[in-house]
Amino acid sequence: MQGLPLQFTNVSKAFSIKGKALPVIDNLSLDCPAGSFTALLGPSGCGKSTLLRLALALESEDSGSLRIGGDSPRSICRSGAVGVAFQDAALLPWRSVESNIRLPFEVLGRKRPDAAKINGLIELVGLKGFEKARPGELSGGMRQRVAIARSLATEPRVLLMDEPFGALDLILRRQMNLELQRIWSAKRPTTLLITHGIDEAVYLADRVIVLSPRPARVLADIPVSFSRPRGAELLRDPAFHHVCDRIAALLDPETSAASAAAETAALETSSVTAPAKTGTTA
Amino acid sequence: MTRLGDHIATGVLILLLLAAWEFAGQLKLVADGTLPPLSAILLRLAAEWREYWPHVGATLYTASLGFLIGNTVALTAAVSFCLWPVTERIFRGVNIAAFTVPPIAIAPVLVIALDGETARITLAALLVYFPTMTAAMAGLRSADPRAVDLIRAYGGGPLRTLWLLRLRAALPAILSGFQVAAPAAVLGAVLAEFGSGARWGLGTFLLGSLGRAEPDRLWGIGLTATAIAGLGYALSATLAARTTSLNRAVNIGIAGPEPDTASEAPVRRALLLAAAILMPLLIWQAMLLWADLSPIIAKTPMGVIDYLITGKTASSAQTRLLAALAETVPITIAGMLLGLGFAFALALLSFAAPLLMRALLPFALVTQTMPLVALTPLAVLIFGRGITVTLVITISVTFFAAFVVLAQGFAMIPKAAFDLVDAYGASTLRKLRLIAIPASRQWLFVAARLALPKALLGVMIAEWLATGKGLGNLLNQSRGYLDYGMIWAVAVVSILLSVLLYQLTPVLEWVGRSDRRSK
Repeated sequence: MQGLPLQFTNVSKAFSIKGKALPVIDNLSLDCPAGSFTALLGPSGCGKSTLLRLALALESEDSGSLRIGGDSPRSICRSGAVGVAFQDAALLPWRSVESNIRLPFEVLGRKRPDAAKINGLIELVGLKGFEKARPGELSGGMRQRVAIARSLATEPRVLLMDEPFGALDLILRRQMNLELQRIWSAKRPTTLLITHGIDEAVYLADRVIVLSPRPARVLADIPVSFSRPRGAELLRDPAFHHVCDRIAALLDPETSAASAAAETAALETSSVTAPAKTGTTA
Repeated sequence: MTRLGDHIATGVLILLLLAAWEFAGQLKLVADGTLPPLSAILLRLAAEWREYWPHVGATLYTASLGFLIGNTVALTAAVSFCLWPVTERIFRGVNIAAFTVPPIAIAPVLVIALDGETARITLAALLVYFPTMTAAMAGLRSADPRAVDLIRAYGGGPLRTLWLLRLRAALPAILSGFQVAAPAAVLGAVLAEFGSGARWGLGTFLLGSLGRAEPDRLWGIGLTATAIAGLGYALSATLAARTTSLNRAVNIGIAGPEPDTASEAPVRRALLLAAAILMPLLIWQAMLLWADLSPIIAKTPMGVIDYLITGKTASSAQTRLLAALAETVPITIAGMLLGLGFAFALALLSFAAPLLMRALLPFALVTQTMPLVALTPLAVLIFGRGITVTLVITISVTFFAAFVVLAQGFAMIPKAAFDLVDAYGASTLRKLRLIAIPASRQWLFVAARLALPKALLGVMIAEWLATGKGLGNLLNQSRGYLDYGMIWAVAVVSILLSVLLYQLTPVLEWVGRSDRRSK
């Protein structure tokens, strides 16, 4: 199964807080080609999650359009082609690990997947032996892994993740990053990852999008072209840190304006979908 | 180990209190023997068991059917309020009326409009409806919003969310609603038996035994009614404990946002408010149409207006009603304030001396599950027929709910706040003054809202059964004189009074808030 392209075109969205309009996303365009891995970085509250909620049809855009594989998010989500993992595992506490992973099938009204498939997923996220456990008996990291397994259960062609590793400690996070890379490389779903971890974004993604403070606009679009599979040694590579530092400068309110101007200049010399390899070495 | 020690200490204290009761009874310490020794009550109960069981059976039957029907309606309502929030706003008037209605005021009306058995079951169901409905609503809304998003993200609609998530998530809340509803069903059944001339039932049995001035018999009936109510409570509590442990495991306390009505068109808001006010009247009218009764017996909303305002009976009716209100309203407010004060003192006690509190709790629970009507004759025996008895009954019906709310409020104060003053070596008293009392202010108003309608019920029962004053007495007299207009008028006025007092608490809260000047 191939990934589906994901396109945001001139999307704007405002919320009304006590009757006043609060713009959250301002005329944002973003093109994620089929099978790509895009990471979204931005200051807290900048509207990253809203972007993802729009793609999940949990919110609707005020203007602009959003297409997944040329279709509307609602109909794509109903077809089961989209997998999702949130920062909070959002497991149903009364269901076992197996049964939680099966949940998307029940929501989609599909027939029960065979046990072998579910067991395969459980094994994939390293929870063998915990099939019958309830979420309450698992640690935070284990719960999050169940949520990842659940997001993969329907063999999604688009994977949307909102800080899925945010609640994990650094060591577990690294492990999960490796796992996610492996899973993604095998099935190549078009992936959109929202994260606060700059290194995580650079480590996993083909491309890092840095968003401005609210309302969200694309501040910089940074291609990351380290070869895959990426191993733990990449984390010690000076080139890796160079990319991370550039992004950190963009996110720091004090240096952000100057860095953004530099990035924009770099962007203007190329098109957004095929950006120049500014400062990255493969 | 310490937990076991606590349990043993609590058990010993309870036994001591029971022994004190027995001792006081044997020596006739309380009001010349109106508190009989526990052994005498139980012996008499055992000896008269044959006489009891048809009554117990009848009450159980009414209460169970009422429990079943009331809960079915409550759950259906909660689900529809959850799926279509606009229905909740349309039924808001009905819900407030269902919460505030003094059952004793509506019982005679139900008996007029429906046949005896239906009336009794209806009253039990009516008292069951509100606790279950609110608990179920809170439960359905408490579902983890992330899980709701997840289901929606896979294209699940409101129905699938309800089925896969909300109903199961609401189960512990629903069962804790049943804990309140089960004793309420028994109370409703006994109250209705009282007013409907039933042949069997603990209410009837109690009424028949009232004149005989045999405290041990009255206590026996009261304890039997309490045991039935307590059994329902215990069953629901056990079920609730089982489901809660699973749910609690990972749930985080984020409630879904309340629907925002600020941006709504004013016309729509006005229409919904009008619908909310008219709905109870519509149901009233519809019920009478369905029962097909003579307009002399069954008054429609227009009939009551005619009786009270426009008709030739109006001036006499108004005079009697106003005189009754002048007696009832002040004592209701006084009783409610005393009940709240008592609850507050008890909550402080439970904070300062948890062990003593745990021993007292079963006794407090008894006053709650013990149907009021069973309590009243006993209170009359002990306190006579003056104003004291009204106050005592009012306090005993109001304090428990208020206490639970306040104790919860105390429990929600962050431990760190106490640790801070502890670190400066504060005494328990100082901790109370510095932290617990200021922190519990907002809970006091929640407690007041819960207590007010109950206070009116307590006062009216005392007036009916004991003091012969006010609205309760007017209702009782009107039944005697077959003054149907007045029966309906009292029912309507007492509901309106209750709703008014209920709506008044937020205003008081606003006035009492010290930080409003800063804005």
